[in-house]
Amino acid sequence: MNPEPFLQLDRLIHEKGRLAIMSMLAASPELSFTELRDTLEMTDGNLTTHIRALQQEGYLSVAKSFRNNRPLTTCSLTVAGRQAFAEYISLLEQIVRQNKPR
Amino acid sequence: MKPDWAEENLQTIRTLMERSAVYRRALAPIMFFAGLVGLATMGMGMFFHMNSAREFCGLWLGAAVVAVASALLIARRQALKDKEVFWSPPTRRVAQAILPPLLAGMCLGAFPVFTDTGGLTFASTLWVLFYGCALHAAGFFMSRGIKVFGWLFITGGCGIFYGSMANLIPDGISMWLMGFFFGVLHLAYGAYLYLTERKNPVA
Repeated sequence: MNPEPFLQLDRLIHEKGRLAIMSMLAASPELSFTELRDTLEMTDGNLTTHIRALQQEGYLSVAKSFRNNRPLTTCSLTVAGRQAFAEYISLLEQIVRQNKPR
Repeated sequence: MKPDWAEENLQTIRTLMERSAVYRRALAPIMFFAGLVGLATMGMGMFFHMNSAREFCGLWLGAAVVAVASALLIARRQALKDKEVFWSPPTRRVAQAILPPLLAGMCLGAFPVFTDTGGLTFASTLWVLFYGCALHAAGFFMSRGIKVFGWLFITGGCGIFYGSMANLIPDGISMWLMGFFFGVLHLAYGAYLYLTERKNPVA
């Protein structure tokens, strides 16, 4: 087996929680912090940590606004985030193809 | 590490992406229009005294067809305006979720036509109940509010059923009941959504 694709996998995205966040945001233009937290069943602290890590890498942008006089935090993938996610998926597919018995 | 971890990861990603792609098109105009259709139907039924089973069921089945067709047209218009695909995966999922209870309700609710034994209140109960189930099913792929709205119809339907069994609901108010549930409640929910829905939603 060629270990090359595995070594190329983005370690930041490869973590389970962050991968889940990226997956959800890849299918939606933006999601609120609450939506992410409830769907992924994460704690506020855990989700904040992951979001911050992805934000620092420039994969995710966070917008704060108000809705019905309540603060609303929404997250969306940046262009770099979408690109990194697409690359990650393509590497996974490559690994799957390699592992399939011929 | 398990040999098929990559495949499992891809499957998880696919599931999460599907779950996150919820239907987000603006519902306020759809609810408003459905409410207007409901009220107009009630008004028409009362004005022309359409109280026989055939007239009553025909009138409300016609109204249902008009409301569903209009909802699709409004959603399509929104999609075109936003330069998006109308028949998107979330739209498809919502349609698949509401279709079985909606069709079952429409078919079963039309039973008085074939039995000719009256039972218009029971027909209204079935329509309200099944419609509530359809809304609740759609709620799994839409904003949470729609589930609550669905529960309102389900509890309302059960209330009418037991109320009529206990002779608490007088005969001959089926038109009012239908008008209240399919007209007034939709208008009220439309108004609520108009005030609370976010602008520029996407499917």
